[in-house]
Parts: sequence; C-alpha cells; structure tokens
Amino acid sequence: MQVKTIVLAAALSIGPSLLHAQFDFRIDSRDVQVHSFASQGLLYSNNNNYLTMDTSKGSLALTDFGVNVSTAVTDKFRVGAQLYDYNMGLLGNFHPQLDWAYGDYKFKDWLGIRAGKVKTVQGLSHDVQDMEFLHTWALMPQSVYPMDTRGDTIAHIGADLYGDIGIRKLGSFSYTFFGGTRPNDANGGYLYGVDTMSHVPAPQGGFMYITGQTKDVTYYGGPIYGADLHWATPVKGLLLGASYMFQDITTTGTYTKPVVVPYKLTTVKDNATNFYVEYVLRNLRFAGEYRAEPKIVQLNQPSGVLVQGFQDSRSGYVSLSYRFTKWLELGSYHSRYIDNWPVTHSDPRNHIFDQVFTARFDIDRYVDFKIEGHFMDGACIDGVLDHGFYAAPNPNGLAPNMHMLVVRVGYHM
Amino acid sequence: MKHLQIFLIATAVGICAAVTASAADIKVIANPNIGASSVSADELKGVFLVTKSSLSDGSHVEPVLEKDGPVHEAFVKEYLGKTDSALQTYYRSLVFTGKAAMPKTLAADAEVVAYVAKTKGAVGYVSAAASTAGVKTLEVR
Repeated sequence: MQVKTIVLAAALSIGPSLLHAQFDFRIDSRDVQVHSFASQGLLYSNNNNYLTMDTSKGSLALTDFGVNVSTAVTDKFRVGAQLYDYNMGLLGNFHPQLDWAYGDYKFKDWLGIRAGKVKTVQGLSHDVQDMEFLHTWALMPQSVYPMDTRGDTIAHIGADLYGDIGIRKLGSFSYTFFGGTRPNDANGGYLYGVDTMSHVPAPQGGFMYITGQTKDVTYYGGPIYGADLHWATPVKGLLLGASYMFQDITTTGTYTKPVVVPYKLTTVKDNATNFYVEYVLRNLRFAGEYRAEPKIVQLNQPSGVLVQGFQDSRSGYVSLSYRFTKWLELGSYHSRYIDNWPVTHSDPRNHIFDQVFTARFDIDRYVDFKIEGHFMDGACIDGVLDHGFYAAPNPNGLAPNMHMLVVRVGYHM
Repeated sequence: MKHLQIFLIATAVGICAAVTASAADIKVIANPNIGASSVSADELKGVFLVTKSSLSDGSHVEPVLEKDGPVHEAFVKEYLGKTDSALQTYYRSLVFTGKAAMPKTLAADAEVVAYVAKTKGAVGYVSAAASTAGVKTLEVR
C-alpha cells in the first residue's frame, strides 16, 4: 500500500510538469487555464495513531491531489471546476470528488454571485486549508482546520454573494454571504468517527471500546448559511475579520447492534463564530484565529429514547512565520482545542494543545518540502467527536501526550 | 586607505542602485482602449489584486505582470505592499478556489509592452526607460 502511495504521488508530481506546455490553451479567443497540485506526507509519532494513520509506526498514508479547469466566458462571467482526491489513513481511500464547480458572475466589484459547489469562506483560510503549498505548515492548526472532516465542511452546494468595497481612509472590506447545503463525504472523518465512537473512559485511564452497540452511519448534511467580513485596515499589513455560520445538520444511518433500527442525530442548535487577525510586515507574518461553536444535538438510542447532547467547543491558534530567503521559511504556531468549555480545561480528556515548529523549503517555484515537529498535549479522549484521535485505530487506548514528526512534499502549477 | 574605503562604498551604492528600483523608475502602461489617463494608487492595487475588474471610467481591466527583476520587485512592494512570494501565494489562493485566473506574466519590458498593446483592457508596468510605443502611460495619483 505504501509503495503504491509513493508511486502514485511521484507520478502525480512529475506528470503535470512534463505536460506543462499543454496546460494553458484557448477556446474561441478565451484563455482556459488548467492548474494542478499534489502532496505526499510522512507522519511518525512516539505514541497514539493520529488521523486514522498508523503514525506510531510511521505512515505514508497521507496523499492528496487535485486538478482544476477554469475560464472567463465573458469579462463578467467565469466558470470552473476542480476535481480532488485524497487518502488519509482509513479515510478518503482515493474516491475522487468534485471539490468545487461553479459559475461566477460579477455585476460590479462590490457585488458578485457564485453558484454551484462553492468553497466556504470562513476565517482566514477555511477555503484554502487543504492546499499545503499556500501555507508555511505541513499540517494546518487542527483545532480550527481539522483535515479529517475537510470533505464535510470545506464547501457548500448553493451560492455566495460577495464583493469588495474600498473606503479610502478606512481601508477596504471584502464580504461574503453564503447559503446552501453541506455535501456528504462518505469516506470522511465525521461519518467514520460517529460510526466508531462507541467508547467511554476506562477507570485505569484511556477508554474502553463498547461493542454492545454498533451502527452504520451513512449520511451527514443539511443547510448552512453565514457570512464573512475581511477588513484590510488602513494600518499597512493589518487585516481583521469575523465570520458567522449557522448549521442545521442531520446524520442518519442504522443501528446494527443490539437491534436493527434507524439512527438519527439532528442539530437543535449549531452556530460557529470566528474572529481572526493577520499582520504582515515584509517577510514576517503573524496570524491568529478564535472560533466558538456551541451546539445542542438530539439522537435516538436503540431503545427509541431520545437523548440530548450539549457541547461548547472553543478553538484557536496564533502563528508566526518568517521568510528568510526565496527558498527558506521558518515558523511556529500554538493551537488549542477545548472540547467542552464549561468543563476543566486542563483535563487532557477535554483538550488538545499543539505546539508546532516548521521549516519550509521551496525547492523551486512549484515544489516545496516541509519538516515539522508537533508537541501535543491532550487527546480529547472522551470528546463528543474525535478530532484526529479515533478509537478504532487506537485499540489499546490513547496516551495523553504525543510528539510527532511530519514531513510533506508538495507540488503545484 | 581612505580612497579604498570611498571606492568600496561607491561601488556598493552603485551595485544597489543597479539592482533596486523605486516607484519613480516604473511606468504604468495600459492598452489604448482604456479611457482613463490616470489611476489612483488604490485603484492600481485593486487591479493587480484582482478585486477591481474595471476603472472609474468603466473600462474592463486585467493585470499583466513581469516575472521577476528589480522593476517587478519595486512595483509589488511600492504599489501592492507585498513581497513577490506573498503575491504568488495570494494569486494561487484565488486560482485554486476558482475565484480568478492566474494573471498573465511575461519575462521582459518589451514583452509586456507588446502584450498590453494588443490586449484590450490590459494594464502592466515597465521600467521608466522602456519604449512604450503602442500603449498609453497612466499617471498614478
């Protein structure tokens, strides 16, 4: 499997460069652009298996790639689509998906509409979190940008209203209003986690996996809507922003044990609020984000009894990076996830803290190489969702601390 | 010894002058179909950050960049407030979310002038010394 992964990643990386000359062409005097990217990761942790990969033994099971085609049909109307595929441990499994595909009509600079499958704008990097070549980091702060649930959260099928408004002395504002439905990533971390999360904390530490109740969860989705506002302030290099998103998510499937009955989890309340800041001074970049997501859900037990669950998660990070030369950038971030805010924050069962140090090397304009150290405290052992630390790939329980080395090679054109 | 110091300093200053450029060394050029004869610095920034697709006179515009070099570095720094690396990352974030196409990038002044001259709505920049036959020069307010 690992050999296959390496061969596939190498082919994906080399192939486009060989075909570079063919990737821009014209149809009826309009430029058509084709762009692609691919990346391959290696993760090695001193304990625990992270993101469903066998990281404690060293895992190469982190591969992704995508290709997009776009063109301007008129000066105001653009169309495009991107195909994306990934494998991450037990997730993804190389099932290609339409990442985005939409038409974009810009009436004025201050008003445009995009409709189709659109990447959701939320916070600093939500819509570009999966493109490693855009970031200093090999893994984005997982508190705010969890890779394992990417397929469920990164886009919506619906529409955006957007625009840019410059107000001379006040800088400029970019706004996006979005609405639509969440896609269902059948091979993503959300369904996998709900399927396998039947676990409780064990008296001796770690957790026990309950096999008395199993389910096959097949669908996740529902309407979402929200807004994002970026403000490029009059202070050179300083950007401030805020986002709000409301979600009404339904998860369905079937209990397969102890009785075969329908499973249904619905959102009673789920709204996410983000605040973020970015400051760039020449080659220095500082960024920070904070997200609050209180939610109330309701699910049926196999007995038919309805149970309500409450979770008030908070997450955020601060990061600092500096580009020394065209080929070298160093950076660090501190990421924090608190699964349930009213519960003791210092309890490793309720938090994941991650201190990260990264070196990024840009081999040339199209190829980057990153080496990154993670020093993680806490694993959210009894969290409502798994946040990278899943029960099934850790049958002997989870240690509260973990160190991890991540190496990632990426290509784009 | 003193003469040697003066010589070294003069050489260093000369080298710096040769490899760096400032806003004064840059001409902003446009296709003659564009009605405006000047643009504000904010408008110019909007054009090159692809947040502005038309000028105040209603002309549709598209940016044209130089691939690298002192004029490119100076333009990106002075007018866009970014480094080249940050600008490329910015463009890629638009391209890989479908929000914009990668702007046309050309290797030298002459290529930029030739492309701008034949492309409706094109706006580019070249060194102040470059020949700009066939294009109009925009004053930056």
